[in-house]
Amino acid sequence: MTAAAMTERPAYSPPQQYRLTFVGELRSEWTKLWSLRSTWIVLLCAVVFSGGLGALISANVPDEAAVGGADMALGYAMAGVSLSSVFVAVLGILSITGEYTTGSIRSTLSAAPKRLGMLWSKALVFGAVVAVLFTVMVFATFFMSQALLSGTEIGDVSLGDEGVLRAMFGYVAMIVYLALLAIAIGAILRNSAGSIGFYVGVIMILPQLATLLPWEWVSDAVPYAPGNVPNTIALVDTSGSTLTLGESWLWMGIWLVVAYGLAAVLLKRRDV
Amino acid sequence: MIEIEHLTKRYGKKTAVDDLTFAVKPGVVTGFLGPNGAGKSTTMRAIVGLDAPTAGLARVNGKHYSEFRSPLTEVGALLEAKSVHAGRSAYKHLLALARTHGIPTRRVHEVIDLVGLHEVAGKRVGGFSLGMGQRLGIAVALLGDPAVLILDEPVNGLDPDGVKWIRLLLKGLAAEGRTVFLSSHLMSELAQTAEHLIVIGQGRLLADTTVDDFVSGNGKSRVRVVSPDAARLAEHLAGPGITIASPERGVLDVSGTEAAVVGQTAAAHGLVLHELRTDRGSLEDAFMQLTADAVEYRQTTEGVK
Repeated sequence: MTAAAMTERPAYSPPQQYRLTFVGELRSEWTKLWSLRSTWIVLLCAVVFSGGLGALISANVPDEAAVGGADMALGYAMAGVSLSSVFVAVLGILSITGEYTTGSIRSTLSAAPKRLGMLWSKALVFGAVVAVLFTVMVFATFFMSQALLSGTEIGDVSLGDEGVLRAMFGYVAMIVYLALLAIAIGAILRNSAGSIGFYVGVIMILPQLATLLPWEWVSDAVPYAPGNVPNTIALVDTSGSTLTLGESWLWMGIWLVVAYGLAAVLLKRRDV
Repeated sequence: MIEIEHLTKRYGKKTAVDDLTFAVKPGVVTGFLGPNGAGKSTTMRAIVGLDAPTAGLARVNGKHYSEFRSPLTEVGALLEAKSVHAGRSAYKHLLALARTHGIPTRRVHEVIDLVGLHEVAGKRVGGFSLGMGQRLGIAVALLGDPAVLILDEPVNGLDPDGVKWIRLLLKGLAAEGRTVFLSSHLMSELAQTAEHLIVIGQGRLLADTTVDDFVSGNGKSRVRVVSPDAARLAEHLAGPGITIASPERGVLDVSGTEAAVVGQTAAAHGLVLHELRTDRGSLEDAFMQLTADAVEYRQTTEGVK
């Protein structure tokens, strides 16, 4: 092949009508989320667990324990919902660490080489799915629990009672917050086992263990731990908690900014 | 057009690519040759922005890959087979990538048919053979009908039919005016597919040339003569710079001269020839010779008694 013959060939022009867009990335993440069997299995587990545990506990509250107002009623009803956050967090972690362990991240970031769109769209899509699913679960569990508790002192809680509706959406927000935090942890650590271990150990268990330590500053700091800051928003009566409602929201925001800030910087800087 | 300028990539203390500069032109298939660990994959990963260079630049059509508004139509890359979630079907994997760019599902079906994965497109990729994984990777690379194709070891794991198919496919794509850049350690494969060659060893450029020049420049060519008068012919041929070996009676391997000279010498002395031919060195030989000093993982027979 001579140089002259090469230049005679017309230059190839690729299709012009396609563009990488953020909406496209959102649709891509939606497709990726629902095309894995593990998504369906884990979310089904979360639904069964939150509904089942809520019903089981509500049906077996002894009469002498069925006292204490709306927060006790919600506490019994939402026991399963709270614990289901683990399923959601694990799924959130796997949605990103799964890309690294299988190598599909190379395909993903070759299609979207600016990289950050992948993180934002993953968080948005998963956060939205969790929000919708758990809004349904929180309300379904509430009505089921109230039906089972009817006739007891805490069996006549109404959605219209002051703070009840807000606390129920507080549960939804708490689960969404934990799911988003989990995705950021997965993006930072890029390893499934490490991320799940970190989430369970540092976010869930460590703050509980820390309260056993004898130092006062530890007890003072514990309410500000990433896993504890959403506690206030899920309460009907928030007068007894360290953080006010506003502070609870603020600290959730702070931890998300910290986690996603770190995740974004690392995503931009590290080789894939 | 792919331009690599003074590209250097270090992983810790280890230098994978060392001040590499070359260009890959459209219209021909360019082969990227080098022993294992020479830095081929690192260079290709740098082109699509998966690895950030320690120094230097890798550009496609004058831009850094991440600057493209539509990366998939500019560059299609097969970097490692199975850059796919094992739990996802081939169809959904392609669909998810297509959606980022608004590429229609019609095109997804097109590339699935093109690479021959129609039967298994709905199956989870975890059960795919290496060859099927390669075909899926090629489908991903072709999804955006891109101007530049970068393929790292595309024939790995393909059966002979598949190898032949991809050879024709790549030549066809290059003939349409696209830039086609493929790496291989199968030198014979590159000889049949590529017209141009970039050869690297230990991260450094060893050759940037056409396949033909590479073979004639680096391979040892020799003249094989079969003659009943071999001994006398050898006497007449002997001279400075010429080496003559006789692997068997009546046969000479002459290097350092050309077949025409041997034939004339024989005719001048009235010697009978039964056979006279030039053995061109293979691409393999040329490659071995060029990279003899640049092989990172050299096998040794010491200790094997």
